[in-house]
Amino acid sequence: MNAIPAVNPESANRKYIIRTVLFMGGYIAANLAALSGAFDDITPRGALAFALVVSAPILGHIWAFLAWIRESDEFVRGIATKRFVMAGGITLAVSSVWGLLEIYAKTPHVSAALVVPLFWLAFGLVSPFIRSSH
Amino acid sequence: MKNRLKALRAERDWTQEDLGKRVGVSRQAINALETEKHDPSLDLAYRIATQFGLTVEQVFVNPHGS
Repeated sequence: MNAIPAVNPESANRKYIIRTVLFMGGYIAANLAALSGAFDDITPRGALAFALVVSAPILGHIWAFLAWIRESDEFVRGIATKRFVMAGGITLAVSSVWGLLEIYAKTPHVSAALVVPLFWLAFGLVSPFIRSSH
Repeated sequence: MKNRLKALRAERDWTQEDLGKRVGVSRQAINALETEKHDPSLDLAYRIATQFGLTVEQVFVNPHGS
């Protein structure tokens, strides 16, 4: 049996906070620039590039969260993973049901960009109920 | 998993934070072990037992009998 290197929970938390602030700062700055009209005269190709640029911090934050899980201790890793999986399941269920409602029942269209906030809302809702790694 | 962590800590006047730092986990992890919300990996069980100078069986109750 090989010894598993001990983790540094404080370092993992600190890195996650810094990464989140940086990614969300970029996300907010890009959206504020768009809302202020900085990209109103953008070409279609430019709009595509801008949408991908705005998406990058979202992908970055997901990476930061998964990295935090990997760098945390085994208990935090266990409950965070359970919460992540449960929130993912809820998000899949809600978004697929809503999508089918849109197709067959003509319910109002909701942007797919709201899937990420829905996921974190689900994560927040399930967290108080998942407090054990069992 | 039942264990003697809290009593062993108290004997040494260690906080959960102290023990966590000694074995490389968070205070929350030590609290979860003490309240039986987490079963330690074999590696963590050995690390904790080593800190107390005891065997794993002297710290954690074998759930499968003696």
